[in-house]
Parts: sequence; structure tokens; C-alpha cells
Amino acid sequence: MGEALGNRLRDLRAERELTQAALAELVGVSRKTINTVENEVFVPSAALALRIARALSRPVEEIFYLRD
Amino acid sequence: MPTSADFEAADRVSRRRARLLPVLGILFIAGQPLYFANSGVEASQVKTYAWLVWAVLLLAVLAFAGGHFGSAAVRALVEDELTRANRLRAYAAGFWAGSMATIGLYGFSLFDNLKGRESLHIVLTVGIAAALIRFGALERRALRDG
Repeated sequence: MGEALGNRLRDLRAERELTQAALAELVGVSRKTINTVENEVFVPSAALALRIARALSRPVEEIFYLRD
Repeated sequence: MPTSADFEAADRVSRRRARLLPVLGILFIAGQPLYFANSGVEASQVKTYAWLVWAVLLLAVLAFAGGHFGSAAVRALVEDELTRANRLRAYAAGFWAGSMATIGLYGFSLFDNLKGRESLHIVLTVGIAAALIRFGALERRALRDG
């Protein structure tokens, strides 16, 4: 219990040359949600994590990981 | 599926709300000297009703502001997962601030007489203002570029 959730969202987004706003549109959430997930301020629900993974065409575990 | 215009509209509403709510919270606190002024602890009926209406309106703003603008798509974006989480954190801040105010008033009541209505007034004012300020602060941080 208590592990923080890390992510590689910024790198994967940059790899696909997407802005936060563009990724937000693909996922169907506001830009601020993508911003806070990317900066690890907000831990997304499983549903949102899966939607982000689908938008980036990556498995969810490639984007999100447990930080020890 | 939301359009680009929906995303822009939702962003505008979110920014406006993030700016407005802390201001309302600060004004709510700042207005309290008027409530207690010139009548000691005994405020007039008009002031009491005005405060009550103001408090209910602010609670409604905290709970619903932004959720009733534009199309269903805009509303869904304005009230997305992050906003709902931020609102819950703001409610928690309001609860803690109200609890701290209650403890302070309880301590004060050991040395001086406190009237029930004035005590409730102070607890509610602190709780509502804290929740508004916290919600605005969380939303502003989320909207910051980075």
C-alpha cells in the first residue's frame, strides 16, 4: 500500500508529437486533467488510465507504473 | 464526441470558475466584520437573513458552478474526473476548517459565553470559505501550464 503511481505520459505524448490539448481531445477529457496526470499531481481512475492508453495505442502498463 | 469548440468552451468556464471561487471565499470571510459590526455579537435580522442566503448560494456555487453551462459535452468536460476529485478535496478542506473553528469556539466558550447562532455562523463561514478557496486553488494549479 502507499506506492505512488508514476507515468511516462510526457515522453509518449512527445513521441507522438501531441500537445496536452490534443491528447485531451483524443481521450475526451479536459487539458487540465492530462496536465495533472502527466505531472503526477492526480492519480487517474483505472477507466481513465485505460482511455489514455487507448488514445496512445499503448498497453496501460507501458504508460503507468508503481513507484517504489 | 466533443468538438474542439467544446474543449475551448470548457477550458474558458474552468478558468473563470478557478478565478471566481477563491475571490468569493475571501469576500465571504472579509464581509464578516460587517455582520458583527455595530451590534456586538447580536446581529440584526436583515444581516442574518442576508448571510444565510449568501451562504446557501455559495454552497450551490461550490457544488454546481460550471456544471450547467453549455452543451452536455461541455458540461461533461467541465465536470470531468479531476474536477470531481478536486471538489471532494475542497469539501474535506471545508470539513477540517469547520472542525478547527468548532474546537476554537469550544475552547473560547470555557472562558466566555457564546451564542449558538453566532457560533454556527462562524463555523459555517470558515467551512464554506475554506472549501471555496481550496477548490479554486486546486483548479488553478491544474490549469497551470506544465
